[in-house]
Parts: sequence; C-alpha cells; structure tokens
Amino acid sequence: MNVIIAGAGSVGRYMAGQLQDSGHSVTLIDNDSVVVAQGRATRTPVGVTWCLGDACEVATLTSVGAAQADVVAAVTGDDEDNLVVSLLSKQEFAVPRVVARVNNPKNEWMFNDMWGVDVSVSTPHLLTGLVEEAVTVGSFVRLLSLEGGKARLAEVTLAAGSPAIAKELTNLGLPRESTVVAVLRDGHVVVPRGDTVLHQGDEVLVLVTGGVEDDVRRALVG
Amino acid sequence: MSLLRRKHENVPPDTIEPPKSTPISETQPRQHVSISGRVIRMTARPTSGQPALLISISDDTGTVTAVWTGRREIGGVTLGRKIAINGVPVMRGDHLEFTNPNYTLLPR
Repeated sequence: MNVIIAGAGSVGRYMAGQLQDSGHSVTLIDNDSVVVAQGRATRTPVGVTWCLGDACEVATLTSVGAAQADVVAAVTGDDEDNLVVSLLSKQEFAVPRVVARVNNPKNEWMFNDMWGVDVSVSTPHLLTGLVEEAVTVGSFVRLLSLEGGKARLAEVTLAAGSPAIAKELTNLGLPRESTVVAVLRDGHVVVPRGDTVLHQGDEVLVLVTGGVEDDVRRALVG
Repeated sequence: MSLLRRKHENVPPDTIEPPKSTPISETQPRQHVSISGRVIRMTARPTSGQPALLISISDDTGTVTAVWTGRREIGGVTLGRKIAINGVPVMRGDHLEFTNPNYTLLPR
C-alpha cells in the first residue's frame, strides 16, 4: 500500500518504520527542516521517502502523490493540522482511508467524516480504557471505537458471579449484532468457537455494533 | 479563475459558458473532473450528529452524488436545477461521490 504520514514526530516515525517493514511504501511529511534533514542523513526509518513541506498545503500533498495514496495518516501533535490534512486528503484527493490522531480528547467530536476522518485514534482515551481494564473485574470496559462509534471493541473480565461462567458461547444469548472476538485466559489467547466454555477470570473481548451494548453487558456481567 | 476574471470585467453572467463537462458514465474515481446535470434527489442528513447536504446529480449517462458537509442547504440548489460540479469523486457502493465539490448553478 501507498501510505502518506503527516508529522514526523515520534508517532509518525514509528508508524513509518513499522509500515515500511511490513512492505508498504511510506512517505513522511514534516515542515521542520532539521527533522527532515536528520531523517534523510541517518536513513531512519529505513526506506522511507522524506518530504520537507507543510502537509496542510494542497501543493505538498500533490507533490507526494496523495492522488494515488491508499492511506493518509495525520499524526502531528496539533489537532487543527490533523483536521486540515484529513479534510484535504478526502476532499481534494479522495483518499480511501484517512486516519487521524487526536491529541486533546476535547477535540475528538470533530474527528469524523465531516472533516474527512475515517478512523480517529485518541491516545488519552485509549489509555483511560487500558487503565480501567487493569483495575476493573466484572465490568464492561470500552477499549476502542470504530467507524465513528458504530462499532466498539469492549472487554469484560468475568467475575465470580457472572452469568456467563461455565456456559458455551452459543448459549450466552448474545445479540446478533455482537461477537466474541477473543478470550484471554492465563496469558493465552483462546480463539472463540461456539463450543468454547467460559471460566471465571477470563478476559472476553467483544465487538459490539449498534445499540446492543446493554444486552451484551447483561449476558456477560449480569 | 476565469469566472472571477469575467466578473471583474463586468461580463454579464448569462454570457458565461458552463465549464466543459465530462459525461458521468466516463467519470473515473479519484480523477479530477467536471460534470453537469440535473439535481434529481436532495437529502439533508445528520452525519454523526452533524449536518450534511447530499444531492444526486444525473445526466443522460448516469448519476453521481455530492456531499457538502456542515450545511443542510445551499441557496439556489433545488430539485430539478441544472448544476455543474467539479472535484475528485470516490467510489461509494455502486456510485461515485464528491465531497465538498465546487459548484456552478447553470441557467435553467
């Protein structure tokens, strides 16, 4: 895939390295000449194409081939910039997938299709989710929102009183709009099948769509 | 640009010829293009709770949709109106969709 990353901070450079390693063609844009010169000189991440310029300018995006890009990721430390890059990518270049980083959770409400964002990632929200996950047993923790909140990845650690214990997955009565995607047990990942039996202490990852979260909660938490 | 210049030169608006347009059936995704046709459908929709105006434009060869975000109406854009738009369309399901394209209202 052809990936353009706006913002060559630690997030952008890390992503570029990972994506390049998995065989994608990556271009990094940054408007800091020191950062770009350093990246070019040290050739890190390996194989990445560097571009010195303002990713909020159509001309810059044109010069790095946004019209052919499969993905644009706007991961600068500035939410305004990320929104502008997202909107331009969608509006001027019809990029199929636009990913944007949310720096301040207060701004997350704007990161949707109105601004051309297909997927937004908010580090603070993710961290809150992970902290909640670590401290709560027997409650329903939202980990990730997909498609602007239409689908959610949630996690439940089964407490002693959970109605789901010792039941097979098919007998849990989960709504059709949800599916168990993984069960973490004693440090192993159990790939869920219909006949997988749940135990106390299992971490159950569920993909939930639509408004069935309450039904899922009832089936797993009680 | 040429429109601006013409305005500046006080050319009466009805002498402005419509931008050269491509038949809708020949429109390719992700290629910058101008098309023109009639508005055959208008929908104001909430997009994740925020407003958007969605219209379908049809010429003799096909139909495309255009979405303008952040608004529920555009003055002069009504059902049956002839309109020209230019922008970069993306394939959405079985039709092409423009996001916030430039538009020109054409004489009826």
